[in-house]
Amino acid sequence: MINENKRSRVLLYAGIIAFALFAIVPYYWVIRTSILTNLAAISQDTGFIPAIGELTLDAYTQIWNRFAFATYFRNSIIVSVAATIISLFFAIPGAYAFARLDFPGRQALFYTAVFTIMFPWIVLTIPVYEVFYFLRLVNTLPGIIIALSIFVLPQNIWLLQGFFRQGIPENIEEAALIDGHNELTAFLRIVLPLSLPAVAAAALFAFLTAWNNFLWVFVLTTDEATRTATVAIYYILGSDVLREWNVLMASLVLLVAPPVVFYGLSRRYVGAGLGGSPGG
Amino acid sequence: MARLELDEVTKVFDTKAETIVAVEELDLDIDDGEFIVVVGPSGCGKSTTLRMIAGLETVTDGEIRLGGERINEKSPKDRDIAMVFQSYALYPHKTVHQNMGYGLHLSTDLDDEEIDRRVQEAADMMGIADLLDKKPSSLSGGQQQRVATGRAIVREPSLFLFDEPLSNLDAKLRKHMRTEISRIHSEVGITTVYVTHDQEEAMTMADRIVILNSGKLQQIGPPKEVYHEPTNYFVADFIGSPSMNFLDVELERNPDGSGTITSEDFSYDVSSRLLEPIDASTSDLIFGIRPEDVRIDPQAPPEKTVELTVDVVEIVGSDNFIYLDLAGKEFRVRTESEVEPAEGDVVSVTFDEDDIHLFDSHTEEALVHGYSDSSVTPQVEKSDSTAD
Repeated sequence: MINENKRSRVLLYAGIIAFALFAIVPYYWVIRTSILTNLAAISQDTGFIPAIGELTLDAYTQIWNRFAFATYFRNSIIVSVAATIISLFFAIPGAYAFARLDFPGRQALFYTAVFTIMFPWIVLTIPVYEVFYFLRLVNTLPGIIIALSIFVLPQNIWLLQGFFRQGIPENIEEAALIDGHNELTAFLRIVLPLSLPAVAAAALFAFLTAWNNFLWVFVLTTDEATRTATVAIYYILGSDVLREWNVLMASLVLLVAPPVVFYGLSRRYVGAGLGGSPGG
Repeated sequence: MARLELDEVTKVFDTKAETIVAVEELDLDIDDGEFIVVVGPSGCGKSTTLRMIAGLETVTDGEIRLGGERINEKSPKDRDIAMVFQSYALYPHKTVHQNMGYGLHLSTDLDDEEIDRRVQEAADMMGIADLLDKKPSSLSGGQQQRVATGRAIVREPSLFLFDEPLSNLDAKLRKHMRTEISRIHSEVGITTVYVTHDQEEAMTMADRIVILNSGKLQQIGPPKEVYHEPTNYFVADFIGSPSMNFLDVELERNPDGSGTITSEDFSYDVSSRLLEPIDASTSDLIFGIRPEDVRIDPQAPPEKTVELTVDVVEIVGSDNFIYLDLAGKEFRVRTESEVEPAEGDVVSVTFDEDDIHLFDSHTEEALVHGYSDSSVTPQVEKSDSTAD
């Protein structure tokens, strides 16, 4: 029995390691290639673990110097943060209304809002461009911010209303009403603080969606000055970098870094649970 | 403290699919300081009634007055009430102390010192003084319940509302807490409306019990009265545990006014005194007798005896519950623990005419209770024993 236990344990760990490698190796490869010299990056002789002499940060400095990455990042951060804040500003009360209030047309409105998540956005690009052109918002940061806010709003509403519906017991709000709050202050002082984990999760997803959005920014910008990092990568791909794998991978690392940092920061709020439920 | 009056209060839930009358023309007059328990099966409208009093539900029709003042349109915070929820509804992000003091902070202009003093006082009363710095999530169910009750006491409101506050506790704690709540009520003397589906809680705690079914008031009265003189079949069935035995019977009258109640497997002679209040044309009746009023007695006179087969014997220690078979229906008897027939035995059961309840089989209204003219006083012991 002990032997059998041991064997199944060994098998288990072997399986885990295989899956872990499968997941980790691509990331390792990206980082490895990004710090190789030009030649080493395309040479077949470069080992899985490259020699010290082949390592350099050249690719990163090259990107920074050759492309306006500082601008792209600034744009990306501005539009992602702004879109996150604006969409949450509308999604929180909207989701709360969908979760708690009974008003005519509630279901129809909710499904309309959620349906847009599933809508193939590519179909809308031309009309949206027309509208934004008419409003003189093409090639402007506010234009991108508005577009991305609208783009992430439905998923925020959907995420948050589920939380308000199930995560916050109605009795807690009722207790607040009896304790001396009105509907608005009960929401602001009791429900919202308790919803922080859900709001943080929604913010994280909104930020990631906005950061990674390609289509809207691509359609709405032609100027380099308003380009975001995600779209910039596309242009870099199309330039003569195509054969410079190290530069390409370095730009990828740079692109992924901010969302990873943002995730790390929000993790302490996301997943912090609710306590004080009955029974114990 | 105040008197609470409900005047033809009606609540209708109007959804697209259907219209539900949750509470129908409910009249209640609750005296200052009284402890009222509203009891009934699920969906009888008891919680809706409580929520209307609290202001968490609008009133479709009728009027609710607290201390003589109409409160229908007042928001919950302006009603001077405190409520304890079934789920306790403590604020998870606040400590016990903050939970208890929060209402005072919001709705009064007491200074922190005074609030602190009142929270301490209530915490001492509830025996939770050592928990004041903890968060609700680290408390047991019983402790959370105490905090929720403490939070209500601190407010010193004119009206306490309890919505099944003990349902989430285990049986032992539940019994302990109901004594505790009764004790607190007698200490603070605040008018209380307590909703429960547990008739035992109702019997032990209430000054008066309100029994609802399908949104309609069935009976209101002191525990002994609803136990001994249920107004209809529903109340008779709902109050008492194990519940009353019922049997569809026919009444055969003798020329001298006495009679016999009979069914296929059953006949029992009754005197003219019992039948007097019953209309001469009424012959279809529902016969009711409480399990604790039935005796297994081989010496009983045959015209007052029914022979039945023992189905199951349940031993609970203090008493035995004996389930007999009466024409395929269960007939329950509660006996002393010495009486322990074997399953399959045929036993003679008897009961006193004074303990019989008769209901009209069409309207289900009570027609006569065996002892109605002897008042409820001699039955005190029995009422206490069921309440346990």
